[in-house]
Amino acid sequence: MAQRGVTEAKMVSHRFALMSARILLACALPPCAGRADEPKPTPENTIHIQLAAPVPPQKFAKAPKFFISEVIDRSGNAQPMLVLRERGGVFLDRPPTEIAREAIEQSLKSAGLLAADAASADLVLQIYVFHFGLAQGSGLDFFGKVEFSVMVKNVKREESQQIEAKGTSIANAAIRKKNIQKNVQANIEGALEDAVRNLVRGTQLREAVASLMKDSPNAPAAAPSGDLAVAIGDGDRGKRFESRDEKR
Amino acid sequence: MVAPGAAAKDPEVTYKTVEAKHFTRVEGVELSPAFTDYLYAELRNELGKTKLFAQVVGEGEAVEDADAANSVVIQGVITEYKKGSRAKDAIIGFGAGMRSLKMDVNVTRRSDNQDLGAIKVHVKVSPRWNEEVMAKGAAHQIAHEVKNALKEKAKG
Repeated sequence: MAQRGVTEAKMVSHRFALMSARILLACALPPCAGRADEPKPTPENTIHIQLAAPVPPQKFAKAPKFFISEVIDRSGNAQPMLVLRERGGVFLDRPPTEIAREAIEQSLKSAGLLAADAASADLVLQIYVFHFGLAQGSGLDFFGKVEFSVMVKNVKREESQQIEAKGTSIANAAIRKKNIQKNVQANIEGALEDAVRNLVRGTQLREAVASLMKDSPNAPAAAPSGDLAVAIGDGDRGKRFESRDEKR
Repeated sequence: MVAPGAAAKDPEVTYKTVEAKHFTRVEGVELSPAFTDYLYAELRNELGKTKLFAQVVGEGEAVEDADAANSVVIQGVITEYKKGSRAKDAIIGFGAGMRSLKMDVNVTRRSDNQDLGAIKVHVKVSPRWNEEVMAKGAAHQIAHEVKNALKEKAKG
């Protein structure tokens, strides 16, 4: 009887040990599994986004000079560089704000509409990025979406106007990881190009420029003071006179 | 994939540009805000595939004055949406409980806003599919109807 009691006690303790081991394992596993699912950026799963060619902006009656003061991420995305979580993840190599700035600057520069600094610019652009990357699609394809909101400021007149630009692109889904990356890259580049075109060729920008540049002289809008601008002008004229005298 | 904005090299091209605007919705239509964005993107994609337009421009993009007479603007209103019933679809079948979407689409010439066609589109899909699949079907149907309307207009 005593022997039986000892055997039962042993079995109970054995069961208890097994149960506690299972519980411990269950407690220990989820964080590890979670960590394994969380994709990490590697050179293999990182893509480089840039415009294939600058987007030619529209022609303005009086071509202004733009300067991009800052690009702010307002997407509310905790991981803005992670564009696709599935299949080991797809990451951007730079933050969306940097990509957006480069794309817009490149396009403005191609038409000679980019000022070197804020002081020499007629209009200063402050860009808010609301969406950059993939959005929810049908599941049969990748839906790329890039959304900006741009504050166009005339610093001299202390006036501003807000405009919006949106770009979309739809690319086929893929099964192989290599093709997924290729399609996602093409898709986001397409959406970025579309958004930049929507901005620089948009009627909203044309109206904002017309409104903010109304009655403005050709002199740089953001010159520190009128006296300084006149002094610079006089200096130039003086040089021109000298050269004419020299010729004579 | 035909990228929106890309010029199509096809002899069928009749119009210089087409601009699809985001569809508005009447009061009481309960669709997510993302649906309108996806429908807009799909519509642009499908319009590119028709090869009737040299360029599919984005909403609010400027078009050169010389091209305006040969450009088209597409506007639409979502008039009705029924989300359907999975139970009815599974038990009854034969089209019962399907998701349904009705839209009124207007095609106008950019230069003078002349009406080139008013199209009524009705799309029905299984309630098991998500909104985006419905948008895909709707965009395909709209592009098809627009192509037919413009061809009829050109003939007449």
